[in-house]
Amino acid sequence: MEDKENIKVKRNLSALVEFSRVINSSLDLGFILNNILLTCMGKFLASKCYIALKIEGNVELKAIKGFKADTAFPKIKIDNGPIDCNDLAKFNEENNIVLCDKIVSSNDCIGIFAISGKLNKHNYSEDDQEFLRTILNISATAIQNSIVLDELKVMNKLLDSRLHKISSLFELSKEFGMLSESKRVAKMLIYSVIGQFLISKFAVVTFDPLTGIRILESKYNDDDLKKALSKYDISGIHDPIFKAAIEEKYPKLALFGLELIVPMQIQGKTKGLMLLGGRMSDLEYTESDVEYIYSAGSIAIISLENRRLFKEEIEKQKMEEELEIARDIQKNLLPHQIPEFRNIEVAATNISSKQVGGDFYDIIPLSDHSFCAAIADVSGKGVPAALLMANLQAFLKIICKHGMQLVEATALINDLITENTMDGKFITYFWGIFDDNNRTFQYVNAGHNPPLLIRDGKITYLKKGGIILGVMKTFTPYLSETIQLEKDDVIVLFTDGITEAKNINDDEFSDEKLETLALNLSGFSPDRILEYIKESVQEFSVGTHQSDDITLMVLKLK
Amino acid sequence: MSEFTTSTKQLDGVSVINLKGFLDAHTAQVLEAAFTSLINDGKFNIVVNFKDLAYISSAGLGVFMAYIENIRDNNGDIKLVEMNEKVFNIFDLLGFPLLYQIFNNEEDAIKKFNEAKQSENAE
Repeated sequence: MEDKENIKVKRNLSALVEFSRVINSSLDLGFILNNILLTCMGKFLASKCYIALKIEGNVELKAIKGFKADTAFPKIKIDNGPIDCNDLAKFNEENNIVLCDKIVSSNDCIGIFAISGKLNKHNYSEDDQEFLRTILNISATAIQNSIVLDELKVMNKLLDSRLHKISSLFELSKEFGMLSESKRVAKMLIYSVIGQFLISKFAVVTFDPLTGIRILESKYNDDDLKKALSKYDISGIHDPIFKAAIEEKYPKLALFGLELIVPMQIQGKTKGLMLLGGRMSDLEYTESDVEYIYSAGSIAIISLENRRLFKEEIEKQKMEEELEIARDIQKNLLPHQIPEFRNIEVAATNISSKQVGGDFYDIIPLSDHSFCAAIADVSGKGVPAALLMANLQAFLKIICKHGMQLVEATALINDLITENTMDGKFITYFWGIFDDNNRTFQYVNAGHNPPLLIRDGKITYLKKGGIILGVMKTFTPYLSETIQLEKDDVIVLFTDGITEAKNINDDEFSDEKLETLALNLSGFSPDRILEYIKESVQEFSVGTHQSDDITLMVLKLK
Repeated sequence: MSEFTTSTKQLDGVSVINLKGFLDAHTAQVLEAAFTSLINDGKFNIVVNFKDLAYISSAGLGVFMAYIENIRDNNGDIKLVEMNEKVFNIFDLLGFPLLYQIFNNEEDAIKKFNEAKQSENAE
């Protein structure tokens, strides 16, 4: 009898040792639990058995034998005290569970084990219960370890995912740094986001006050999307918006199935939006997802903005190069060489301001004893003024070739210019014909700053003429005047670039200063007079930016 | 610039795209072109072989998302085969196995396509 008891104890012991070895050799929770159940069921000849574990405060059914797979387990709480719960007692009773015990690891209850009655109808003896407790004690540590391991795995996965996000962002910023084409940037951005979160519907839009909404990437109908976006103040979106808020505040956008809107910002200003549909995995967007999307969007928008600025700069440079060419062409329209005459000396200069300008002068020989001198100032600056000036120059050249009379020719030029201008552009124009044989000068002044005739220390203003060119067709004929010139007469033709040149105090050079200079300098040669006036204007305006063309022509009788 | 190439072959009515090299934001357009050309030809049963793929970035993963809906709308699918562990881990991390069927070799993936075709025909 005693031998039989001994054998039984020995068998129990070796079973326990074997059990302990097996479950401690694995960290797989499923394997461990399965082993516990099978061991107990085999030992006690029971057909039903389960283990429920405490997971984040809740008790969940983790392993079952003899139960249906979808068995509903009651919501219960367990603590370190004895099991005392009606729901659990009811559940156990319904399932013929006769024995239910806690699994305790280092004084903490980590779950419960329960088993049905023995098929041989025997009751669980003291020994049986003792054996069971031993099994559960051995199991507790193994279960605890594998739970910790699972938690670690989850943590690791989370860390991996973080790391992946960071390295994705790093890669994006590297790619975006290369100033790729904006469509390409948007594509890279969206690929990175949809790959990360498994999104199949999306759009990337940018906007600025000038160009409006621009759709860079979209899985939606562009026109419909633009229409919907234009209904809202989208530049006022400063924070990510989730599905519920989209439905509430932006119902027209919600129709596209958007679940997340993330602004793309530079220095707190929203320059674009990422519009995202749901995730194909049916997961919700988390805060950390949005953080990633926001970061990726910010990197992208900076790259887009840089590219835009870069393009603008290039455009500007190109424009400046073109203006440089225009200036060269314009320079070529002015006479290269001033012809020489028997009785009169001529000097002329033009200093153009930085832009292409509207000043013009010309000296055109008409015959071997006469020439035409002209000076003009086209209103405005830039290309339109330059074009009008080129027009005037062409008319003038043709008219001189045809030997027309000054008064009729002025009327014709005015008519032509009037036909060719819009937007109220006009030209102040002065021209005259000098006859070298009889020393006469016949001129017409069409609204130009009156040239100065200096004779015997006195100034006469050459004012006869009529209306400025380009305002209306010639209605009343222009007047002209013919002057009999005398030896040492000086005529100074100029544009307002001289008299209105500013100094650093914003004072103008003034007519008075020019007249005084002209009077004082009249004894010199035209070249010297011209140089002096030019220098004093330049000296006067030192430290300022020349804003207008300066044109000056000086004639002097020998 | 990192190297990435694709080559496409036809096997039992299924298009197999072989990826080779580094698939990142920069080379993503090569794969885009491969998908676009198949879609334009009306070939929606696609197997992508990762055997020679050394690296994939999230932008590279995005390419798969960008085309999948269109392909499935046309009763096709993209199935993925022969991923090395590193590449699989990235796919796994982002939850791709939930949405894409991943096989050990081309034959299994092609078989799956043809089974689906047969059951369709049977219906």
